[in-house]
Amino acid sequence: MDSGRWLRVSGHLDRVLDLPPHAREASLVALRTEDPECADEVAALLDEHRRLTDEGFLDSSPIQRDEPSLAGVKVGAYQLVSRIGHGGMGTVWLASRSDGRFEGQAALKLLNAALIGRGGEERFKREGTILARLRHPHIAALVDAGVSSTGQPYLVLEYIDGRHIDRYCDEERLSVDARIRLFLDVQAAVCHAHANLIVHRDLKPSNVLVTRSGQVKLLDFGIAKLIGSDTQSASTMVTNEAGAVMTPKYAAPEQVANGAITTATDVYSLGVLLYELLTGQHPAGEAPKSPSDFARAITEVEPIRLSAAVHNAAAPDAAALASSRGTTPDRLGRLLRGDLETIVNKALKKNPSERYPSVMEFADDLRRYVDHRPITARPDSVSYRTAKFVRRHWRSLAAAAAAVLLLAGVIGFYTSRLAAERDRARLQADRASTLSELLTSLLTGADPYRTPDAKEPTVQNLLDVGAARIARELGGQPEVQAEMFTVIGRVYQRMGLHAKALPLLEQALAIGRRTFGSESVKVAYSLTELGVLQRELGNLAAAEALINEGLAMRRRLLGNVDKDVAVTLVELARVLKDRGRLAEAEAPIREALAIRQQMFGDEHRETATSKSELGLLLWERGDLAGAEPLLRENVATSQRVLGADHPNVAAAKASLAGVLLSKGDAAAAEVLLRESLATRRKVFGEAHVEYATALNSLGNAVEVQGRLEEAQMLFEEALRITRPQLGDEHARVAVMMLNLARVQIARGQGAATEPALRHVLSVREHLLKAGDWRLAQAKSVLGASLLAQGRDAEAEPLMAAAAAGLQPVPGPQGRERLANRARLVTLYEKLGRPLEAATYR
Amino acid sequence: MGRALYFPTAVSADLTSLIAEAERGDRAAADALFTALYEELHRMARRELSKRGAGVTLGATTLLHDAYLDISAREGAAFPDRNRFMAYAARVMRGLIIDYVRSRQAQKRGGLFEMTSIRTDIAAAIPEAADLGRLSDALDELATVDPRLARIVDLKFFCGFSFGDIAGMSGVSERTVQRDWEKARIYLHRVVRDPIPGV
Repeated sequence: MDSGRWLRVSGHLDRVLDLPPHAREASLVALRTEDPECADEVAALLDEHRRLTDEGFLDSSPIQRDEPSLAGVKVGAYQLVSRIGHGGMGTVWLASRSDGRFEGQAALKLLNAALIGRGGEERFKREGTILARLRHPHIAALVDAGVSSTGQPYLVLEYIDGRHIDRYCDEERLSVDARIRLFLDVQAAVCHAHANLIVHRDLKPSNVLVTRSGQVKLLDFGIAKLIGSDTQSASTMVTNEAGAVMTPKYAAPEQVANGAITTATDVYSLGVLLYELLTGQHPAGEAPKSPSDFARAITEVEPIRLSAAVHNAAAPDAAALASSRGTTPDRLGRLLRGDLETIVNKALKKNPSERYPSVMEFADDLRRYVDHRPITARPDSVSYRTAKFVRRHWRSLAAAAAAVLLLAGVIGFYTSRLAAERDRARLQADRASTLSELLTSLLTGADPYRTPDAKEPTVQNLLDVGAARIARELGGQPEVQAEMFTVIGRVYQRMGLHAKALPLLEQALAIGRRTFGSESVKVAYSLTELGVLQRELGNLAAAEALINEGLAMRRRLLGNVDKDVAVTLVELARVLKDRGRLAEAEAPIREALAIRQQMFGDEHRETATSKSELGLLLWERGDLAGAEPLLRENVATSQRVLGADHPNVAAAKASLAGVLLSKGDAAAAEVLLRESLATRRKVFGEAHVEYATALNSLGNAVEVQGRLEEAQMLFEEALRITRPQLGDEHARVAVMMLNLARVQIARGQGAATEPALRHVLSVREHLLKAGDWRLAQAKSVLGASLLAQGRDAEAEPLMAAAAAGLQPVPGPQGRERLANRARLVTLYEKLGRPLEAATYR
Repeated sequence: MGRALYFPTAVSADLTSLIAEAERGDRAAADALFTALYEELHRMARRELSKRGAGVTLGATTLLHDAYLDISAREGAAFPDRNRFMAYAARVMRGLIIDYVRSRQAQKRGGLFEMTSIRTDIAAAIPEAADLGRLSDALDELATVDPRLARIVDLKFFCGFSFGDIAGMSGVSERTVQRDWEKARIYLHRVVRDPIPGV
């Protein structure tokens, strides 16, 4: 049978094989009508199955599993009778006392010698003696622990003929109440052991037996430790070995993480056990694919709510589950909601200190529940859960998935609520803004302007999934959808993921235009946001058009003195500056500053920002004296208003540093730039473009002071961070490439710089208007590179063109102008053209 | 764990990287991995038996378990977890057992190595080497169609793991393993067709 055919019937075969044999043929009836060929095939395979069952095909393995050869062998004072169990730890035998002193049977465990290790015999015997003193009606007693004459370590335990507790509960169809009462016996036993300073470490259904008379008996108390070595890692390994074969299904987070193992570890495992007895499922849901996934689930994923587990899709069969508890799924769900859920949750806390402080208190609460008295554990409040949630920063995909579920829940809630509302139109606006507020608060953890240490990759994943859901599920509510796209787009933008933000903001604008009409505050907002993004992406013409459109709309709707109009004016000025139209930029900046001074006064972050914008513009136009006081005011006001660690303060310091550098005070500039760098590292992290930009600025100050090697490293690091994010065509990347090349030339590595510089020049020719000094700057440095390679003839026209384009403006332009002229003088003197040399002297 | 020092290794191959390469689909690495694991298991089986002497049993499961402890201690932290190891080792174990049956049938006694856990008491239950060979071929075919099923057969039939053990290793329920086992039996039975005598 080829693989395609096999895989096609495989799913049907699964379904049919799950049924009892007599029901299998009948279940094919439905399939026969829709796919008769497939049904025939399944029927043939079933026939095959009947035959092979009759033959006993593969029933007996070529290797033995019952090791009969050991029967009758004497181990210590015991004689092995028959094998009753087998696990990673070793084999378990039914044994009888061979010296006749003790009538009856015992369970004898033959341990793998490897588990106690060399030299561990003494400790093994010593601790075995301690465990042997542990006596409790619900604990299977350890009778003896020893090492046989052949070096075989063994344990002799009270022999218990019973069923695993989970099977017992299901087979006896115990009610939830009866299960809890049985579980209380388990807790009593664990309590007793804890009082004797013995931690079980490996509580799981197969270690909790229930005898025919309904007595609970715990096996293997302390044995995980007994056979563990002295080191922590070995002991958890052994715990795993002792388990059902390495699945750390009942392990507490601290066991998985190799943390300290205490009585709280048993509290957790008891929580898992109780959870399973009540729901038939593991708190982490359907078993993850691998043990490492499981370990991750244990340490990171919050348990599925007890009541939700009943209706969980992974539940094999909710009806069967409920019926084995003598009830219906709905009733079971209701029964598990509330106090029981709270109790189990408290036992299953990831952090041991948040669990019940002892098994005794855990048991007390359960008893209160059974007696219908109020319990002591409190359910997690929404704010607790949210705080916890934000604190975790979506560290893992699983947590991100949980966030998306939450998001989806919020959306779903509003969707159904909205549908039910009669006065939809009026309410929608309210709802939409509430919703986006909620979402915004959820996402603040991802916004570097709010919480500095967000982990970006998983936040990004959260956003990706969130955006997809919004696109898919909110088509019916364009207002909400547009707002959600904008929120997520802005977070992407702030994370520096501009390309991801673009489609979202574009969609938000398109939806807005359709929904709110051509003239609306929301559309104006979308226009501006998109314009800002386009500017950041380097699409300056598009940015200018969008921002102008937004500005005009806002003026019409909001009047001329309005804070949003001021914001738009600032953005317009930034685009104009980027396009090299410095003179045109001054008017909007001054207008924005005037609006803000009138509306907010001087002690306001937006007023300060306007001063900074104006200062930067004046600086760029060569007016250092005008720029410096404005930028100093900006630093001072920003620090007062926003606090020292705000990214805007970092930006303010960087701007002021730029002016100081232009004035020639590089040392003072360096101090400010290092402060700015430290803040950005803290706020954005070391992978962020803003951090890289700060590295670049610092590189300039360091370079001016002649520390070329250090400067080169700074520029290189800045490029390493920015290039993959912004791409080589980006203006900022071009600046960094040019800076790096200039330092390399100064350090005698000129030959290597030519391709980068030609690239910078072509990028700038593409982005900037003819006549922009930065074009001349690129030509100048390229000329220097060619000069360094001895290609004087090619260098000369570039340098001459640069000389014409560079004005004596303090700062990088002025510095480049002087350097270029000096190079021209040297070149012309070398070429024997003193007249031309003199022009540049 | 000091055991790695105590028993000098016979295998120089770095199993960690062989497994990594095999998982990337490198045929040659997969073959080299098979050979290396084969030698390792063979060596360990001999060693344990000579150490423990006659009358003490050595089960395939224990052998694999010890092999994992030994190899992972030797190879260090980068070595795959036990379950990934078993996925490879189980296939190797199949080869080892078939070779054992083959050699024992050829020599009546002794042979490649004496693995006392292999049934000696119920001669009738021992399948013919040729039949096991056919079964092995069918398993290889199954592995290309549905590798999970083939692995369950290796783990259960050739290594003696219980359904519960296998469920734990694969992270699925015991019921799923049982169902997959039945499916695997169906597939193999179809391929092998006439039943293997005594199996």
